[in-house]
Amino acid sequence: MTTTGALPRPGRAIALYALAGAVLAVWAFPVVWGLLTSFKTERDVLAYPPVWIFTPTLANYRDVLFGPSSIVPNLFSSLVVASLATALTLVFGIPAAYAMARLRFPAKKTTGFYVLATQMLPPVGLIIPYYLALQKVGGLDTYAGLVVIDLTFSLPFAIWLLVSYFEDVPVEMEEAALLDRAGRVRALWHVILPQVKGGIAVTTIFVFLNAWNEFMFAVVLGGNRVRPVTVAMFNFISVEQTQWARLAAGAMLAMAPVILLGLFAQRHIVKGLTVGAVKGGGRR
Amino acid sequence: MNFQTFGGYQEDLWPQAFADTDVELAPASATPNPAKVGSASVRIEGVVKQHGATRVLHGIDLQIAPGEFFVLLGPSGSGKTTTLRILAGLESVSAGHVYMDGADVTTKEPGLRDVAMVFQSYALYPHMTVEQNIGFPLKMVGTGKEVIGRSVDRAAAMVGIAHLLQRTPGQLSGGQQQRVALARAIVRQPRLFLLDEPLSNLDAKLRLETRVELKRLQRSLGVTTVYVTHDQEEAMTLADRIAVFMDGRIVQVGSPRQIFAKPLSIDVASFIGSPPMNLLVGEWEGHAVTVGGSTVAVAIESPQSRDVVIGVRPSDLRLADGGLRARVEGVEHLGDNVVVDLVVDERLVKLKTDRAPVLREGEAVFVAFAPEDAHLFDAESGARIA
Repeated sequence: MTTTGALPRPGRAIALYALAGAVLAVWAFPVVWGLLTSFKTERDVLAYPPVWIFTPTLANYRDVLFGPSSIVPNLFSSLVVASLATALTLVFGIPAAYAMARLRFPAKKTTGFYVLATQMLPPVGLIIPYYLALQKVGGLDTYAGLVVIDLTFSLPFAIWLLVSYFEDVPVEMEEAALLDRAGRVRALWHVILPQVKGGIAVTTIFVFLNAWNEFMFAVVLGGNRVRPVTVAMFNFISVEQTQWARLAAGAMLAMAPVILLGLFAQRHIVKGLTVGAVKGGGRR
Repeated sequence: MNFQTFGGYQEDLWPQAFADTDVELAPASATPNPAKVGSASVRIEGVVKQHGATRVLHGIDLQIAPGEFFVLLGPSGSGKTTTLRILAGLESVSAGHVYMDGADVTTKEPGLRDVAMVFQSYALYPHMTVEQNIGFPLKMVGTGKEVIGRSVDRAAAMVGIAHLLQRTPGQLSGGQQQRVALARAIVRQPRLFLLDEPLSNLDAKLRLETRVELKRLQRSLGVTTVYVTHDQEEAMTLADRIAVFMDGRIVQVGSPRQIFAKPLSIDVASFIGSPPMNLLVGEWEGHAVTVGGSTVAVAIESPQSRDVVIGVRPSDLRLADGGLRARVEGVEHLGDNVVVDLVVDERLVKLKTDRAPVLREGEAVFVAFAPEDAHLFDAESGARIA
């Protein structure tokens, strides 16, 4: 029952929970702090030593939702950018990944490397060229412009992620579908896609989260019309003062969809990560 | 193997070439196998397949009659599966033509050929139920729900899986999965039925049972069937005719009995039969072949002395008072028969008999065979002389 070198069962469980608790505390502390701050008045925020007991107020939320500096339009901007980027990534990424996994075409290796290489470039190095390019075509401060720039990063990432899922579907499965008179498109739709839907779910989540959290491109390439919530947050910090409590309330609102999505898709994310880790490496 | 068990074919009624649509030329066998209407004849002409610099098929020619059970037999890498995939349209040809019922289908899409295939891995759709799997080929051509339902029930009943329709492939045993794959292939009554080593993933007992059922199923459907295997026993029991593949070439086509009785080369001789044919190097002159100092009689005569390889089936070999000098290496009791391992002229030779001889290891004996049971092959080319 007991194995040598390991703690007895109850002791071991306690140790594990303690460790998990410690990790959770470190990870959750900023979130909890932010949550508390969002219910404080500006005066309580700046109190030193910090107050743990205070009269909570909803004023911050009221301000960031309905006040003159409401972030609702920004949440909407974020939603539009992230949704469009995700949808387009899937529309282009799925067929591309399928082709990379299945078809033999010249320069397949090079293409594969290019896809990966784009992930190695630090985005900051590209921001000036992107700015100039968008300026030339009138794409600054437009949804189209920001979405296209998001795609340059999310699409290669999505393809790279999806290829391994497509490669896991045996070729015979598809050949069987062809002989069953499905044709290529319906073979993809009826036979292949249902088998990679886990991968598609993971890709959707990652791409959406990336686009939602993206700040640097948004701040440089966006503007007054297109200002995602990440940039709007930034505006709570000004030269005169930093509105910590409102900032915290805004941050909580900006985080909410991400956390909900994460909870909802937790199972898929964990599975997707392990699939990538275990199967992605030892491919033939 | 005793070929009485699969005998009964009349070799003389087996013309080398079949006319495309001439049903009367279908194999005459002990249990007649009438070709159903819509069952295809197949003709392959000069098919070459090249993968880059490697030539996988060196010009394949074949004629398969409607309703025939045709087996492509050969060791792995001999090109038999490639040939099957070319028939399916899953593989293109580098040269040559494929005809079905006289029509050139060489470049036709797999889905337009009206062929069904059972893959070695079964290739069942894991996210669909058994019912959906079997119904899929019908759904793809827009068959009505009711018709699909009835066809699926019928196909499932034929292979004995009617009770499994609501399961998914992951919940089935290997044998059950194999049946689902069969049902999916027969549900739409194809003109040509292709099977790629369908029994190789089953355990030995199940393989024997399924083999019998497969034969019965093919007989009752009457659909032209091309079956790939590397198992010569499977080929012998199932086939109306066999094409033996070696290194991307067809080296012999014939009934199981023909191939067993008259292998056209050393390669075929040593591939067919269990245990395979004994092969000894000797010198042939007149009616005698000299092997390692002993002389044995053969049925035909060589005018001048020449080097040959003489082949004798283990079951044609017997212990005798004279003949080839041999040393006993061991005795394998297989239940209903016995295989004696012998050394003749420093080569291992197997003798198969149904009466267990009393032999000691290392004992010196003589083995002999009837002159007409000797197979003679050219020592250089390996081709059959007689």
